[in-house]
Amino acid sequence: MERQQAEDLIAGILEMPHPGELQVAIHGVNRLGTRFNDCAISQNALRDQVTLTLSGRLEQKKTSLTTNNLGDRDAIRAAIEQLFATCEHLPDDEESMPAPGERPDCPEHAFSETGEALEIETVGAWVSKACAAGKQAGIDLAGLLSVGQMYFAYGDSNGGFAFERSHRCDFHVTASGARGSGWAEHQGVTIDRPQIVAATERAIDKCLRAQNPVVFEPRPTTVVLEPQAVGDLLSSAFWYGFDQRAADEGRSAFANFDRRLGRLSLYSDPAEPLAPANSITADGQALGRCLWLDRGELQQLRTSRFWAERKRLAPKHTPNNLILEGRGVPLEELIAGTEDGVLVTRFWYIRSTDASTLGFTGMTRDGTYRIENGQLTAPLVDMRWNESALRVLENVVDSGRPVATGSFPAMAMPALKVEDFHFSSLSGR
Amino acid sequence: MFDLLKQACEAARRAGCEFADARYLDIRRQRITSRDHALSSCSDSDDRGFGVRVLYRGAWGFASSPGGDAAEITRIVELAIRIARVSALAARPGGVRWAAENPLSMEFHSPCELDPFAVGLEDKAGLLLSANEVMLRNDSIKRALGFLHFKRVRRWYVNTDGSELHSDVTTSEAVLSAIAVDASDFQQRNWQAPASSRGFESFSTAEFERQAERIADEAEQKLTAKLAPEGEFDIVTDGENLSLTIHESVGHATELDRVLGYEVSMAGSSFVSRDKLGEFRYASDAVTLVADNTLDGGLATQGFDDDGVPGQCWDIVTDGIFRGYSTGREFAHFVGEERSRGCCRADHWSSIPIVRIPNLYLQPGKRPLDPDELLADIRHGLYFEGMDSFSIDQWRLNFQFGGNAVWEIRNGKKAGMVKAALYQSQTPVFWNACDAVCDQHHWSPHGVTNCGKGDPMQITQMTHGAAPARFRGIRICRGRD
Repeated sequence: MERQQAEDLIAGILEMPHPGELQVAIHGVNRLGTRFNDCAISQNALRDQVTLTLSGRLEQKKTSLTTNNLGDRDAIRAAIEQLFATCEHLPDDEESMPAPGERPDCPEHAFSETGEALEIETVGAWVSKACAAGKQAGIDLAGLLSVGQMYFAYGDSNGGFAFERSHRCDFHVTASGARGSGWAEHQGVTIDRPQIVAATERAIDKCLRAQNPVVFEPRPTTVVLEPQAVGDLLSSAFWYGFDQRAADEGRSAFANFDRRLGRLSLYSDPAEPLAPANSITADGQALGRCLWLDRGELQQLRTSRFWAERKRLAPKHTPNNLILEGRGVPLEELIAGTEDGVLVTRFWYIRSTDASTLGFTGMTRDGTYRIENGQLTAPLVDMRWNESALRVLENVVDSGRPVATGSFPAMAMPALKVEDFHFSSLSGR
Repeated sequence: MFDLLKQACEAARRAGCEFADARYLDIRRQRITSRDHALSSCSDSDDRGFGVRVLYRGAWGFASSPGGDAAEITRIVELAIRIARVSALAARPGGVRWAAENPLSMEFHSPCELDPFAVGLEDKAGLLLSANEVMLRNDSIKRALGFLHFKRVRRWYVNTDGSELHSDVTTSEAVLSAIAVDASDFQQRNWQAPASSRGFESFSTAEFERQAERIADEAEQKLTAKLAPEGEFDIVTDGENLSLTIHESVGHATELDRVLGYEVSMAGSSFVSRDKLGEFRYASDAVTLVADNTLDGGLATQGFDDDGVPGQCWDIVTDGIFRGYSTGREFAHFVGEERSRGCCRADHWSSIPIVRIPNLYLQPGKRPLDPDELLADIRHGLYFEGMDSFSIDQWRLNFQFGGNAVWEIRNGKKAGMVKAALYQSQTPVFWNACDAVCDQHHWSPHGVTNCGKGDPMQITQMTHGAAPARFRGIRICRGRD
């Protein structure tokens, strides 16, 4: 859907009778996902979806309805009637906020004109060549190449309107041998074959170096966390902990918080080239740069519009990306400067164990290696860890250069060297 | 609807597909959340569309669309075949061996006495808000939360075997949470109503208020509870706590696609390799784990799966010995089985079916045994109730689970509450440490409604169940220093 189509559709809906405030959001996604394992394509699917969400607000009562039936104006009209009829049955919610009515610029940082050009056959050919590389190396490859085009349109009866398009490519690959595995990824707005080849080669190299792992008796130790491991942990910490209201109400690790979390800065910025992201919120407000940690000092936490008004603070919207700055030390130097430690490629199954300390547990996965006297000396059996994300930030002693990593929805993270990281038990394999 | 889907399958057959199926889904949902004295959200959704899956020259293609007219069906079939041709660029040697299934005609309706979508919003709001009021009567409770989720999925399925299937499944889910805060700590206690494929009749204000009072009281107790001891202890788990452990350490571990490496890049693999079938001592002889997609009210009881195979019941573990996997038609032959166990499900009309955990439960003990007797010979141990922190490695071996409320056991009886307790073990070690399971009078079902698997992730649901069970010598650690 193009901007003008979206604007016309939303204007048409907003012209329909609505006794209170009406908000209209349209999400469109067209995504091809090609999944492979054992060097063969196992699933290949095209998903093409558009959804319309209508939100009605009558005084302090609010409700919403989502449908994928966009073509039926009578159905949409009936849905609006139903929305406001439902509102009348709701109790007041003092936290219900009016539609913002903003018309932000939408610079489409995560959109690429060349992103439109990818065909099913092109994606398939790239994956099949990656699979061939695995066969040639005698390594099982499994992974996903996902190529998506998205758009989001928003309008409200207070005059608000926004439209933004984006692209997203995700390639990740796990290389498995008989006694160990390696993993690599490429994340970006667009992707090309050299990036797939490079990620595949990294995964195979990690796999070959991960065979026949040895036991490292779990204990607190120095770790070098590769960027994906850092992203895995920090995204969990951000979702669980960085909330102003929870802190103000004593339900957070950040209640009465006065610690300095190391020396690194954490921020969000849709325009960040390493992790470009959508620049508007779900209710059509602009997302700008937001500094969460300034050289380790907590600057602010996510703050809803309601809580901001209540506490006379500026609202801090949930961001669409996270970037952790680093000192730019190459990974090889972080390893070379470590006398006794563990290199971690990525984490798996991170879950909260204690909200009051931002404590988490998780496993290492797909490439864990012993570091001795600045050298990788052996692959290690995977380990469970129990650790506070706050303590990890406090214990960072050196860092790399941020690179794009997967999820959040977008992240750029550096490798970190962290002291006193608490491994607690061994995987059974 | 069947006519359009048959048109899709016929077009695929004419184009030379070895197999094709077409699914149309009409999904209706309602989610209501409460916060203290207000409803914080009320959202409805309806979502309709169809997906066509084709097996063409040994390779899969899948495409989907929200539209449903004849022209769109033709376009989507052609697109699915085009995608299958691309898949053939890196086809599996030998292609896909698709288990045979007789043509089936079925109409399945889940039990639903009171359609939740016909119940007035005032009644649903009243259910949550009265529970919140009860929680907030406790001065320690600073936040009371409630959640209702109703879903109705109507599904039409046709395949080139000649099967024509229709299901209509309604599920109802509710969760209450009490958050207690004092100057030095905050603690949350939850109650999850046994999620089931039933209607609004599952819920009652009296039960919600009773549970609200209990969890508020227990959240308050958690605030001042001492930290759990660390070391090796005998533990007892209630049915809800053990349901999640069953899910993670048995359910996922015995999905055959995972064992074969189809999920290795995301959810992981499994230690339960095929050579273990029929031989491996997964658990002590006190443990029999039954898969049952015919379980009355089970969240995975949907009549048939998205391969067109009817729901079945079989043992995963019998008296401690590993006996069977969860399979789909693509995978049955890998373990020498001619027929699929009927476990392939997709979470949406635009998703590809994958092997999912069935309803899976621990069979209650055969001899009479109540929870008091289970605790009686534990001198010093821990009693875990409800689901909390959970994490397991990609082989489904090393796991660590918490409890939403944990009590110390002293001299055979529940003593004071403790906090931050986690039990950590390896799957076969843990299950072989089970020496007793309470009898059927203490068995209860518990739903998992957020089971994630696949890439891109698909979310689905199933029911587990257990009676309280005892495990000897389990390592306890703490989530807090």
